[in-house]
Amino acid sequence: MTKFVRLIDQKRCMGCRACAAACAAENYFTPEAPWNSMLEYEVGDYPKVKKIYNTMNCMHCEKPSCKAACDSVGAKAISKNQFGVVLIDYNKCIGCGYCAAVCPYGVPHLNTAVKALYPGKGKNGAETIANADRHPTHRKKAKTAEKCTFCTHKLEQAVADGKTDRIGKDQAYTPSCDLVCPTQARLFGDIDDPNSEVSKRIQATNATQLRKQFGTDPQVYYVLEEGAKS
Amino acid sequence: MELSRRGFLKSMGAAGGVAASGVSLDVIAKAAAKAKTSNKDGGRAREVRHLKSGCAICPNFCGIDATVVNGIVRTIYPDAARAEFYNHGICPKGASGMYNVYDPYRLKKPLKRTNPKKGRNEDPGWIEISWEEAFNEIAVRMARIHAYNPSKLIWQHGQGKYLIGENFCKAFTKAFGTPNMSHRTTACEAARHVADELTFANHGILPDLKHSKLLLNFGANYHEGEQASRWLDWQTVMSREQNAMKVVVVEPRLSGCAAKADEWVPVRPGKDPVMLLAMAKVLIDDGTIDEPFLVEYTNAPQLVDASGAIAKDKDGKTPLVWDTVTGAAKPYVAGVKPALKGSYTVEGKPMRTAFQVLADSVKDITPQQAEEVAGVPAATVVRLARLFAKEARIGETIVIDGKKLRYRPAALYTFRGLSAKEHGVQGWRAGLVLNMLVGSPDAVGGLILSKANKTPKYFDVSVCEYPPKRADLAQSVFYPYSNHHIAQTSNLTVQDPKAWGLAYQPEMQIFYGTNRPVSIPNSSLQFDGLAKTYNVVIDVLVTELAMYADIVLPDKTYLESWHFAPTRSTPEAGHSAIRQPMTNPFNLEHDAFSIMWELMKRLNLRDKFAEECNKAWGLKEVKFKPGRDYTTREGVEVIWSDKTRKDFSVALEQGFVGKKKSVKSKYLDGVESAFKGPGKPKMKLYADQLIDTYYKVEEIAKKNGLTKVDLVRYKEAYAPLPTVAHAYPTPHREAKDYPFYVITHKRMYRNQAGFTANNALLNQAIGADAATNYVQLNVATAAQLGVKSGDIVTIETRVGKINGTAEAVQGIRPDTIAVSYHYGRWGAGYSPDAKKGIAINEVLEYHPDLISGHNSFNDTKCKLYKA
Repeated sequence: MTKFVRLIDQKRCMGCRACAAACAAENYFTPEAPWNSMLEYEVGDYPKVKKIYNTMNCMHCEKPSCKAACDSVGAKAISKNQFGVVLIDYNKCIGCGYCAAVCPYGVPHLNTAVKALYPGKGKNGAETIANADRHPTHRKKAKTAEKCTFCTHKLEQAVADGKTDRIGKDQAYTPSCDLVCPTQARLFGDIDDPNSEVSKRIQATNATQLRKQFGTDPQVYYVLEEGAKS
Repeated sequence: MELSRRGFLKSMGAAGGVAASGVSLDVIAKAAAKAKTSNKDGGRAREVRHLKSGCAICPNFCGIDATVVNGIVRTIYPDAARAEFYNHGICPKGASGMYNVYDPYRLKKPLKRTNPKKGRNEDPGWIEISWEEAFNEIAVRMARIHAYNPSKLIWQHGQGKYLIGENFCKAFTKAFGTPNMSHRTTACEAARHVADELTFANHGILPDLKHSKLLLNFGANYHEGEQASRWLDWQTVMSREQNAMKVVVVEPRLSGCAAKADEWVPVRPGKDPVMLLAMAKVLIDDGTIDEPFLVEYTNAPQLVDASGAIAKDKDGKTPLVWDTVTGAAKPYVAGVKPALKGSYTVEGKPMRTAFQVLADSVKDITPQQAEEVAGVPAATVVRLARLFAKEARIGETIVIDGKKLRYRPAALYTFRGLSAKEHGVQGWRAGLVLNMLVGSPDAVGGLILSKANKTPKYFDVSVCEYPPKRADLAQSVFYPYSNHHIAQTSNLTVQDPKAWGLAYQPEMQIFYGTNRPVSIPNSSLQFDGLAKTYNVVIDVLVTELAMYADIVLPDKTYLESWHFAPTRSTPEAGHSAIRQPMTNPFNLEHDAFSIMWELMKRLNLRDKFAEECNKAWGLKEVKFKPGRDYTTREGVEVIWSDKTRKDFSVALEQGFVGKKKSVKSKYLDGVESAFKGPGKPKMKLYADQLIDTYYKVEEIAKKNGLTKVDLVRYKEAYAPLPTVAHAYPTPHREAKDYPFYVITHKRMYRNQAGFTANNALLNQAIGADAATNYVQLNVATAAQLGVKSGDIVTIETRVGKINGTAEAVQGIRPDTIAVSYHYGRWGAGYSPDAKKGIAINEVLEYHPDLISGHNSFNDTKCKLYKA
């Protein structure tokens, strides 16, 4: 089997948000719906203070509450594929917002409209690329939920190219947020392979998940900085 | 909690995985493969190009790997091949750098001003003109100046230095015949460079982090700032994880580096010299100093007379030491064993060794005094000094690649923390003194210096030029060791050249890739100067500076142009690189190189420019030839060919060629070969050239009646050793009713003062707090003032007032407020997002360092209250 997970090492993370910027460039960011967010917070009191940098995209949970909510309203727009990736079908989404309401991690966002990066200034850069030339997950729609896809367009390309063993290793087949980190705080790979880098590091660092109490079994693991909330 | 694969599978509730209710990947993959090769689903055929290039947004010059799809730059990743030589990743600015290109607010055509009045509230009345008209107007004016007095032209650049290469700017101004070229380093870290130069006759330092056990970081903030950051970030993280390196950050606010450190020591702004001198006292009193290093590599044993000058032999040049063998003053030659400490009488005159002068000068600077002045507990000062000495492992050696090397794995480091100050040179000199006391320079794990003694003139008395020839007064009597130009003074001297002894009235300024006035404290003084000259601005946006231009010329961004790129080296490796264009969506015809070339042609100086290019670039075999034109690409090919001796196809395919440094070049070609032992020049523990230069300044000032030279301040500034006085910049002494210290800092989400401010991804995609800045104050202070986060507060300095949004944090001293740069833009070329926040430089006091001309960014004091 193949199950993709991510490891984010808060001890290495310096909070630069390159991951968030890379995601935005890769995935045709629209102003109301970031797919990758940074939570920064202080722990301690002056002068014994540290800062925690907690970056979050979709957790691609094993028991996704977003999918449960979507199924319960009958839209059935959210699925989880055999790689573990949780995806929203924009054509089925009814824009009810329940997925955003129930996600313990605040991941799904709804575009009220597909807004321009530069209001009143037409289309710029990737905005000029027509939907027909984009992967389905990049065909943004108004009143539609969207979120991180583990850069599924790259994973699919790996399958098409017969290079699934290069997922998490080659830039063409690895989520962009995991490529750009200046301190190598992020790893992506197959947790079903005990010899993968991500499996070994999760084991070695005793990495954990955030907000486990919600029971969604997230597939993004964290090495927590001292004092960080989980 | 323990996480095992079995436990993970169990939690999934099924042996093979959760049933996927979505479309199978095989189906998707087939569709993906089909879409790649046909356009039957309505999409265009995709032309995909991958290009290796270099980022030029900031001075890291990271290697990048860009993907261009149907002509659009879609993604920018780090160049994986560059990781071995420099960057493992890229920052958010680099990852979203395509939106510096796809910015609808960019300049596309030359603009001409029709409103002759220049002022903050003046509408320039721009009209678009053709390139021909622009070149003609500029060239006619330049020709007139060239015929009359070329010095009347000033060229200034900022990040532009890194876009086409400063050597072209040097060649341009040299060919024209003006001495007036200045870049921006006195808005950045010039004082650190000058402290280096006074100490080891070259500049540039990096801690040898791969082998360090302790990094004592006084205010370098590479997790949010720039130079060498992409290596420092990564290596700090790795060394902490894999080599048990400890990091202590000393600075007033919880910077990005402090947030990740083992210990944050919140020192009072500007008071670091007192803390450092108290630490020196602890080391000297404890005897934990590297005596052999001090004797053999530095001028610590040289004899200092009562005037503070180094005693010289009969030749008037060779310094004297006290020879413990013969009991006499001698030059340090073979057979002489210099005394490190003590007082001696030489020809009836009392002398002390330079080390003794240092020891005597710090004997009363106690940790208790450091506590009172710098706000750091005395016990912490003592503990850090002893930790530094302990981790330095004085006397130890290590064998690497069969070579026995000095092993001192403790480095004290800074970037702007110690240097962006009125006494910035002395601030870093204090840091260098501590490094020398434990013998860390060029030792394994210590502070690696750029090639020691490369420019011996920095050990000499300054030229102290008067009258000054340069409008920026560099290396004049006013700023004798301003070795790196002075960014801000041209806009001041143009307002009253006679007051500075400048023999001419500058008439014209060309600005390239800089937003000078907003980068300088007390920005209004800069704007006033801009109103006095005919200004040409080459940039990508109508910045605040461009609002004062007579002609604005659009430049290409770093993704649209060719360049023989500057690169950053690390202690481990160096590389040569190019930048190559990957798009030109606005069909821009020119970049700054082709603008320069065209102007030189119209002035009949083209061949002279080519000759000066050869000199400026140091080209040996492959050169610019006279009698022909060069496109920007052709120029890059010439330089690449000469510098690398490799085919240009290598540059196009790989973007760079790299080289690992040998153990010899890293550790043995620096201080070991330049300074060690008898008969060699010495690195300066005691910067005697400063006191010699003071005497020269005094003579010139008195002879010429220079009212602008306050000799009391110069004497204090030009001390050969740092003193307590250097912890008292002018605002600390004078702004008595202003209780708070204001400090400034960089942030990761914008660079400098202009061209990243419109980037839609940086402003909207990575967090609302990235699009604006805040007035950071301590939570306790906020409570006392009745201020909550989000309230509008007024910062009032002796310069003026500015309102900003408060952010109450634990991570800052209660007596300090911090506001970042980069925000609060108002030029016509900015998007609404770029205008958020405040431009703190507007209200900072202007007190440049008298040694280097470096601006003081962290010395102002203020009142703070709810608006």
